[in-house]
Amino acid sequence: MEKGEMYVGWSTKDDVRKRGGSGGLVTSMLAAALEKKLVDAVVVLKKINEFEAVPIITSDINEVLNSAGSLHSVPSHFAKLIANKNLKVALPAKGCDVRGIIEQGKRNAINLENTFIVGLNCGGSMHPVVTREMLEVMYKIKPEDVHGEEIEKGKLIFETKDGKKNAITIDELEEKGYGRRESCRYCTIKIPTNSDIACGNWGVTGDLVGKATFVEINSEKGARLLQNAVDAGYIQIQKPDEKGVAMRAKIKGVMEGLGQKWKEKIFVPMDNRLEYFRKELEHCIDCGACKTVCPTCSCGDVSKCTEYHSRGDAYKMSMYHLVRFLHLGDACIGCGQCSDVCPVDIPLTRLYRRFANPIQQELKYEPGMDMQKPPYFEVKLNE
Amino acid sequence: MSGVAGQTAAKTDGWEPKIVAFCCNWCSYGGADSAGMGRFQQPASARIIRVMCSGRIDPLHVFNAFLEGADAVLVTGCHIGDCHYVNGNDKTKIKYKYLENVAHELGIEKERLQLNWISASEGEKFANFIRDVTAQIKKLGPSPLKPEGVA
Ligand SMILES: Cc1cc2nc3c(=O)[nH]c(=O)nc-3n(C[C@H](O)[C@H](O)[C@H](O)COP(=O)(O)OP(=O)(O)OC[C@H]3O[C@@H](n4cnc5c(N)ncnc54)[C@H](O)[C@@H]3O)c2cc1C
Ligand code: SF4
Ligand code: SF4
Ligand code: SF4
Ligand code: FES
Repeated sequence: MEKGEMYVGWSTKDDVRKRGGSGGLVTSMLAAALEKKLVDAVVVLKKINEFEAVPIITSDINEVLNSAGSLHSVPSHFAKLIANKNLKVALPAKGCDVRGIIEQGKRNAINLENTFIVGLNCGGSMHPVVTREMLEVMYKIKPEDVHGEEIEKGKLIFETKDGKKNAITIDELEEKGYGRRESCRYCTIKIPTNSDIACGNWGVTGDLVGKATFVEINSEKGARLLQNAVDAGYIQIQKPDEKGVAMRAKIKGVMEGLGQKWKEKIFVPMDNRLEYFRKELEHCIDCGACKTVCPTCSCGDVSKCTEYHSRGDAYKMSMYHLVRFLHLGDACIGCGQCSDVCPVDIPLTRLYRRFANPIQQELKYEPGMDMQKPPYFEVKLNE
Repeated sequence: MSGVAGQTAAKTDGWEPKIVAFCCNWCSYGGADSAGMGRFQQPASARIIRVMCSGRIDPLHVFNAFLEGADAVLVTGCHIGDCHYVNGNDKTKIKYKYLENVAHELGIEKERLQLNWISASEGEKFANFIRDVTAQIKKLGPSPLKPEGVA
């Protein structure tokens, strides 16, 4: 097996295959890596209920096998979870997880040699609080009655305990202000080619739909991970058909195009920008949560930005945010974590991307996609 | 809060802008010195802050200057190739790009933040630079980031 090869595969364990997002291949691959000691630990989501979960680091194979399934209302981020722990680890990762992990790698907080990144194709995730409200307002069901959740043909479907399926199109949900987080709408990393192996249901055809995962090997590590799972008897794979390969490429293109459209819709040119930023940041309570969760920051507790919490009351703008607007210019990956955690609901990702979009475009620097260093560090001696 | 728009509109006659100029010890600071010695006419608007190299200027010094009431901030250093610490000014150039980006997206007029390479012997260039910026800022009026109650 090598980089560039594509396969369709599924778990050989029936219950994992059934519970898996699409065939349980990812779960089984992670479990096999643990069993054959390719890694010492695995990161998975531990369910709280049918649509909420928390990430855990575990060495218990059963805990891994029990994690199967895609949770769309869990906008977790795994980069900081494994940073500074010196783990030999394998983990599932949405595009933004992968980008965060690579940025932590650049900052020497994660050893990428020891990190097996199982990329998940990602159409987007939802904020759990928004999801709860959406269930009551749009679906008219109690969050506690949800038994299962899936996305099919552009519809978000919640199954209730009585077996009833409730479907609404994602377009309609987003029109009403629900659905995916804003950052997901304009995210353009739909197939994480920056991971070791990219997995998803796009490209699975015929009878296998819903029962298998399409994988693309992106690195030697990815090849080892897949081969190991086959050898250990955890998964079964076969070559994909041409139709599937073409379909997957086409969906990727369409999704990226939609992301681009959202980007243009959200980031309209603006007059009076200073006033806009001042208004948005007016209610900031300087809690520092947006910096704590930011997967590209590895400054630790004492950092330049937080030095300016609660100082200079007469200042017309927050120094804390000015420093971050600057520092995130070449680092922000648009993961949405900052907006998710802000206790006073400041749409931070939208603010940060206002600064990051133009400079990253101008300097042709895309953080989290490869090991390329930020332009500042590329200054050549004696040039 | 509501003072922002009002302040920008007010172009007070006789008002002298406050211009903070970061100058490198080895070049532009000397430039400022020779401007004085050569008795080139220059306005009293500039507050010079001496640094050992333009590479020492952290963008947050610039933000701080604005938040403390500067109407314009100038980043100056040795001509590219002439930095006394090999490539400090190459780094300045890149840092400045990020800084300029933040200032622009924030909506701060480009006249309020400027970069210039000025050697120790270019006293006249330094004096002209300060004079030009002063004239530009007089047209724009006080900075919208100036705290209430600061002249
Ligand atoms: C939010 C989200 C959106 C997705 N959108 C698409 C899409 O548009 N197109 C597409 O082809 N594929 C998408 N996928 C991937 C797809 O749903 C399957 O995860 C993939 O095909 C692998 O299936 P599997 O049965 O092998 O995985 P499983 O065996 O079910 O393993 C899934 C693994 O992912 C982890 N996981 C579950 N939810 C999350 C989460 N929110 N964040 C991080 N890790 C999580 C679980 O802990 C588990 O380890 C998405 C996945 C997620 C999580
Ligand atoms: S930011 Fe992108 S990769 Fe991350 S959850 Fe949203 S759509 Fe998925
Ligand atoms: S600034 Fe916000 S969106 Fe950007 S990387 Fe940090 S947490 Fe993610
Ligand atoms: S999370 Fe919100 S309130 Fe807390 S520091 Fe960030 S912007 Fe301010
Ligand atoms: S010494 Fe003048 S810019 Fe470095």
